[in-house]
Amino acid sequence: MNAARFVMAERLANGLKERRAELGLTQAELAERVGVTRKTVNTVENGVFTPSTTLAIKLSQALGLSVEQLFWIER
Amino acid sequence: MTDRNVADRAEYLSRRRARMLPVLAILLIMQQGSFFSSHPGADRAVDQLKISAWLVLSAVILLALWTGGSWLQPRRVRELLNDEATQVHRTQAFRVAFLASMMGCIFLYFLTMFTRVETREAIHIILTIGLSAALISFGVLERRALRDG
Repeated sequence: MNAARFVMAERLANGLKERRAELGLTQAELAERVGVTRKTVNTVENGVFTPSTTLAIKLSQALGLSVEQLFWIER
Repeated sequence: MTDRNVADRAEYLSRRRARMLPVLAILLIMQQGSFFSSHPGADRAVDQLKISAWLVLSAVILLALWTGGSWLQPRRVRELLNDEATQVHRTQAFRVAFLASMMGCIFLYFLTMFTRVETREAIHIILTIGLSAALISFGVLERRALRDG
């Protein structure tokens, strides 16, 4: 029996948008802080793009949270 | 150039690139008309010039897709234009292009069972399919990412 068949779909969720709003930052301002384009921040926020570990750490530092507080796995 | 100016410039160029990519693909496909309308022979200087233009355009597009392009922009703008999401989009576009090229090869193989296909014709078709697929795919991914700001 194929074990992979029983693996549940996982998705990396994040609280980027909420935290950014709390701090009163625009996507462009956050992008500037972490050295990416607004487009990349937008795709991470919308869950379209899964960031690398490096970018996840940079985003967490820029927003003053730990990586685990900002990103979590949804099943 | 201040950080804000660099970001604004990268944003502007990123949007322009997303708009231009499908247009480039259409231009590349339209150029095939020059090759196939002048075939066979293509001995006239004007035909050779058209074919050379297609080859140069194909080489420039391939190089731009591979390196990220925007060679005349400052280094900081170039880096932003090829940030993480863009690199992933380019990689995905190359995957689509590879699949499209392979499917083109399969199609041509079957075609040769029924009709004669010249080597140059086959090269034209495969190269155009691959590059067009990469351009369209990259363009679609970029436009989607730029939406819903």
